[in-house]
This record gives sequence, structure tokens and C-alpha cells, in this order.
Amino acid sequence: MTIPTQHDQQHAHENLAFIRQMMESASTFTAVSGWGMIAVGVVGLIAATLAWSLAVPADLRVWLPAALVAITIAAGATAVKARSQQVPLWTGAFHKMAWVMTPTLVAGALLTFALTQQGTTVLLPGMWLAMYGAGVTAGGSFSVRAMRWMGVVFLALGAVALFRPDLGLALLGAGFGGLHIAVGVDLVWRHGG
Amino acid sequence: MAGSVATDTLDRLIHERLRLGIVSALAAEVELSFGDLKQVLRTTDGNLSVHARKLEEAGYIKVTKAFAGRRPRTMYRLTAKGRRSLEIYLQQMETILTETREALERT
Repeated sequence: MTIPTQHDQQHAHENLAFIRQMMESASTFTAVSGWGMIAVGVVGLIAATLAWSLAVPADLRVWLPAALVAITIAAGATAVKARSQQVPLWTGAFHKMAWVMTPTLVAGALLTFALTQQGTTVLLPGMWLAMYGAGVTAGGSFSVRAMRWMGVVFLALGAVALFRPDLGLALLGAGFGGLHIAVGVDLVWRHGG
Repeated sequence: MAGSVATDTLDRLIHERLRLGIVSALAAEVELSFGDLKQVLRTTDGNLSVHARKLEEAGYIKVTKAFAGRRPRTMYRLTAKGRRSLEIYLQQMETILTETREALERT
């Protein structure tokens, strides 16, 4: 009969935890749904078109419901993809991603209400794009490279929109619509859905 | 008798930490690119290349090189042999823990 040493036992525990961690990281790494991202982009384009028809670029009556619908679609599509790949959704990587993205998005929501109360809604498109870009860039460090680059491009669009508010609506459409669709297509092509 | 038989028969090729990480990550995904794998493992280009080559030479992983537009793209996939080796390795780790538990129950 063999008795493992304390070192063997500790090593076995560490190795099993490491294997589990690597498997979880790899699976959540590509778990962001490309089809969900495309759907979010379509919602973004519809919202931009509606805002354009109302002649108010940062119309909260349009963009707030659009944001809620987009978040619901993104969460639902990611859960469906995780289930289809038989991987747990709420793992370490997802946990970290949510933690680094949430503060930026909450700050964006607070600024939205503060700027709206001050009557400076002209800066909202640039601020939304920049804050979303900051959150996605940070959260993207736990996901595929395309996510980080999407965050950087959102930041750049936000910077332009802050200094050229007249382009705000066009940039909102390009970012929340076009960019989401482009990255979604990339995710579907490279990471299977 | 001190020491487990399972420890003595471990597959040294995947016992190394980074190679174990490569095989584990690929067991969870059908295919991963060099860049994706590097990010999951949080390692350098050189380290990943060296250890991936050893696994490829042993037939544990399959490497395919293609072009995405004009950019070269290296993709990694776990082979049946690699998956079997990981399964055996996992069983050996579990054996060590079971032997420890049984030894504790006897004392």
C-alpha cells in the first residue's frame, strides 16, 4: 500500500485547481456571443435612426430603452452560447470582467443624469462612447483580442464626438451600430457563434 | 511505504505547468489561436512557442497555419492522444488524493 507524501497531495490539489482554472478561462474567453453582438448592433442602428428622425441625437427616450434591450440581448445570447458549449457561465473570468466593466458603466449612467439635469446633453454621445469604450477595453483583457480593440475604437469615437458634438449622432450609429456588428461578425467567424 | 505510485508514473510531458495549461485550455475549446492561447495562459510568445512545439512533436496537439486576409494565423487543437493523456493525468491526481484520504481514515 502506498501513502502519498504531503508534497504529492498538495501538488495534486494545486494541479487539479490549475487544470480547472485553465479550462474555465479558455471557455469563458470565447463565450461572448457574436450573434448577440450583431443583434446589439442592429438595436444600435435602429436607435440611431429613431434619434435622427426625432432630430435629438442623445434622446434618452430612445437610447435608454435601446440600452436595456441591448443588455438583455447580450446577456441572453451569451448564456445560450455558454449552455450550447456546456461551459459554466459565472466563472472567474466572467466575474472579473463584470467587476472591471461595471464601475465605468455606472459612472456613465451617473454622468448621463447629471449632464441631463445641467442641460448639457450635447456632450452625451461623446461621453457614452468614451465610457463604454473604457469599460470594454478593461473588460476585454479577459476576453478575445477583438473585444479590447473594440473598446479602443469606442474610446476614439468618443474622443471625436466630445470635440465635434455635431458628429455625435453619426458616431453613435457608427459605434453602437456598425462597430458592434463588425466585431460580432468577427466573433462568429473566429469563435463559432 | 512513502510516496504514491501515481506520482512515479506521471506523464512528465504534461506535468510541466505551462504544457499542462496548454492541454487543459485546448480540452475546453475546439480550437484556439496562438494569440488567444497566449492570453489565456498569460505567457510570452517565446515560452508558448517552445512548449507548444514539444506537445506537437509528441502528437498531443495539432498545429495548423493559415492566413486571415494577409496575416498569418496559427491555430492549436488537442488531438485524441493529447486528450487521453490529460484524462490519465487527471485520474492520477485523483488517485493521489484518494490514497491520502484512505490513509487518513486508517489513522
